[in-house]
Amino acid sequence: MVSSDEQPLVHDIRLSTVGPGRVTGQDVVHEPTNMDQAMKLHYLRGVYYFKSQAVQGLTTPNIKEPIFTWLNNFYHTCGRFRRAESGRPYIKCNDCGVRFIEAQCVKTLDEWLELEKDDGSLRRMLVSNQVVGPELFFSPLVLLQITWFKCGGMSMGLSWAHVLGDAFSAADFMNSLGQVMAGLKLAQPLKLAQSHISAKISPSPPKSKDPLSVKRVGPVGDHWIAANNSKMKAFSFNLTSTQISHFHTKVCGQIGTNQIPFFECLCAVIWKVVAKIRDGPEPKMVTITKNDPHGRKNGVLSNGQLISIVKADFSIMEANPKELAELVLNQAMDERSTIVEAMERDQGLSDFIVYGANLTFVDLEEADFYGLKLKAQKPAYVGYTIDGVGDNGVVLLLPGPNNGGKVVTLIMPEDQVLKLKFELKKEFSIA
Amino acid sequence: MPTPTVPEFSKSVKLKYVKLGYQYLVNHILTFLLIPVMLSVALQLVHTSPDDLLALWNSLHFNLVHVACSLFLIVYIATFYFLSRPRTIYLVDYACFKPPCSLRVPFAMCLEHARIILSSQPKSVQFQLRILERSGLGEETALPPAIHYLPPEPNMAAAREEAEMVIFSAMDSLLKKTGLKPKDIDILIVNCSLFSPTPSLSAMVVNKYKLRSNIKSFNLAGMGCSAGLISIDLARDLLQVHPNSNAVIVSTEIITPNCYMGNQRSMLLPNCLFRMGGAAILLSNRWSDKRRAKFRLVHVVRTHKGAEDKAYKCVQQEEDPEGHVGISLSINLMAIAAEALKSNITTIGPLVLPASEQLLFLFALLRRKIFKKKTKAYVPDFKQAFEHFCIHAGGRAVIDELQKNLQLSAEHVEASRMTLHRFGNTSSSSLWYEMSYIEAKGRMKRGDRIWQIAFGSGFKCNSAVWKCNRTIKAPIDDGPWVDCIDRYPVYIPDVVKL
Repeated sequence: MVSSDEQPLVHDIRLSTVGPGRVTGQDVVHEPTNMDQAMKLHYLRGVYYFKSQAVQGLTTPNIKEPIFTWLNNFYHTCGRFRRAESGRPYIKCNDCGVRFIEAQCVKTLDEWLELEKDDGSLRRMLVSNQVVGPELFFSPLVLLQITWFKCGGMSMGLSWAHVLGDAFSAADFMNSLGQVMAGLKLAQPLKLAQSHISAKISPSPPKSKDPLSVKRVGPVGDHWIAANNSKMKAFSFNLTSTQISHFHTKVCGQIGTNQIPFFECLCAVIWKVVAKIRDGPEPKMVTITKNDPHGRKNGVLSNGQLISIVKADFSIMEANPKELAELVLNQAMDERSTIVEAMERDQGLSDFIVYGANLTFVDLEEADFYGLKLKAQKPAYVGYTIDGVGDNGVVLLLPGPNNGGKVVTLIMPEDQVLKLKFELKKEFSIA
Repeated sequence: MPTPTVPEFSKSVKLKYVKLGYQYLVNHILTFLLIPVMLSVALQLVHTSPDDLLALWNSLHFNLVHVACSLFLIVYIATFYFLSRPRTIYLVDYACFKPPCSLRVPFAMCLEHARIILSSQPKSVQFQLRILERSGLGEETALPPAIHYLPPEPNMAAAREEAEMVIFSAMDSLLKKTGLKPKDIDILIVNCSLFSPTPSLSAMVVNKYKLRSNIKSFNLAGMGCSAGLISIDLARDLLQVHPNSNAVIVSTEIITPNCYMGNQRSMLLPNCLFRMGGAAILLSNRWSDKRRAKFRLVHVVRTHKGAEDKAYKCVQQEEDPEGHVGISLSINLMAIAAEALKSNITTIGPLVLPASEQLLFLFALLRRKIFKKKTKAYVPDFKQAFEHFCIHAGGRAVIDELQKNLQLSAEHVEASRMTLHRFGNTSSSSLWYEMSYIEAKGRMKRGDRIWQIAFGSGFKCNSAVWKCNRTIKAPIDDGPWVDCIDRYPVYIPDVVKL
């Protein structure tokens, strides 16, 4: 994208590789669990924006040096995928490293954020959009981009292969970088978690049904991205706490003791909007993903999030939002064991998409994105999106930069974006 | 079948004792000859009476003039002898550059970068992979920051930065270890073969450490991996002329400007083997440094085979057909190296070998020349002349070749192999990493003799012989091996599976 004076907005791009400072050793491997393999076609793209006060005096070498210490704890993210004889992918921890991208931006941080408001796709320039493949041997799983703005502000772009862990794990991963940069020592690398769900699986009968929350695609072979029928576009809007409480009251009625959480209300409203604007039959099923606090151990990266399916047997467009919200809250069925069974049956060789197989709502409110502190200051703003999303679209609810505020990001087919924006503006009464 | 082996075993044991007996006899021949002479003189003295001795003394007709002249002559000869002896050169201490772990280059990263940069030349990538697998390098060797970029950014500013990082780090370490003040440095020699900017690297050191204006500074460039010993030789000669002085030598190789971006096979090898490294050494001829010095320089022998065209052209820096500059190694490098080594050994042998080995060599030589027998040339047993060997870690092939030619055991070449594994080929400074390894292992005892051998473009083979001045106790508290010596020696497989 070129600005009016013919210089690209983001320029001076330099690539290098950073890895663990310690030798991991010969023949160390990491086996992703069945749940991990189910998520392999998705990628998280997060951008952390820092004001110049937070990064004053910091240079790129100041950031690169501690990374070598940081990655000692996460050496499997520096490995590369190989296939076992059975064809099942595993990670060879060969210290190949994380790709590191340095860039400069001609705009100041504030100017850039203004530009992003009009054109959300600009954010793509601050984070890599690489996927795993077509050569597994040489595809990095994590890419970090540091972009310096004209005012001295900085953005850190994380490109994260979902096979390594969910967004909560990715947030923990980034936060520990902040800790290492502050000179804190990380706890010893723990044994990487095996999903407790997969441990309980017994060989299931061959005619088990496929989970409803995933869609089989492919085979994609070694190029881990599924093709879409329509081009997907992302847009987001911020919500202040005032807007949130207005909306909450509107949907759930009086503020009482048995209040439905904001996320479920949001799901209900957006479900209705999507049902309204979409051509063809309305979506009767949605996938909900949330944090599972029991499944996460500190410092360990895993795909432990809760994935559940909600089925409605009534018309969505005519439903009461409160009823729909209650349905989402109470009738969500945990699909994780079904997903794991399905992957187990195929010995880890199937290709699934989870996000976007149905209209998917992702609750990231509990992700500690603002925990990445540089010079004890948290980011001015954090934005996350997902790549490899299916045609039914994804809605992300992220924590906002200020207390009480939130960010809603939607990834939808391009042709539905304008209508969605119009409808959502009406719902949330935002300009 | 035990019976055949027992005679063989006893034969070999008998041979060993015969050899030992022969060595003792020949090496201490003077003592053996002197003993009967002294015995006979003593016997004579016992038999003569004191009166006879007095009569003998008077018959010599000594008077005062005779006595005075004789005394004067003796004093004159003694003074002349002591003054004409070469000054003893001491190595006070040395320091090696330890690369930070953020510059390490694991094999997988090397390969991935090669794959990305040379995506249009998969054969070159395969070739480099094969070299890496068999190179004997480990996963902790370091390349300078500019080479970590995709594509590498080998510009002059980056080369200077690397030079500053390596040289200043080694110098700071040396100044701290020896307590030397920069203003006390009399002679400065910097050798770096492939990077020679103006102002020179020695001027860079003078500027950074604010050395004296009458310092004798030298910058040796283009002299290859054996330049470290050439610098030692130069310092030795200068310290003969300048009394009560010291010399600082900085040996390094700057990798940044020499990343080869083409696909000629003969030029790809250095890319895979050369790594960051540097050393700073303090030499002195001062009497006051005798006590604390680690080593004493005994010999430096330089052999230059450049008169032969084949040897001259065997390591050549040139442009490939596409215009990329690289260092081309010829296919007969090992043969030329062996020739150069033979030349060097022929010169150094008589200086260091005990008489027993020299006699054996002479007999073998005579047998070949006079009796025209087609026996193999006798390779003297250098293990009797030296306790430690530091063979330039130029590559696995070089170390293997020398181990075979000189009949060295695995322990003798351990320092070289482990240096190649941990630091790669750091060119002229590799000898100092090897010395540091031996010290870190606690093997350096007072009186031990060390032989450093380096090969370089030209084709040169240079040797230096040191004698250890004081026992160096392990564990040492600084140096490049301090955090990893416990892991060594490691087993290095012939082929590492990537």
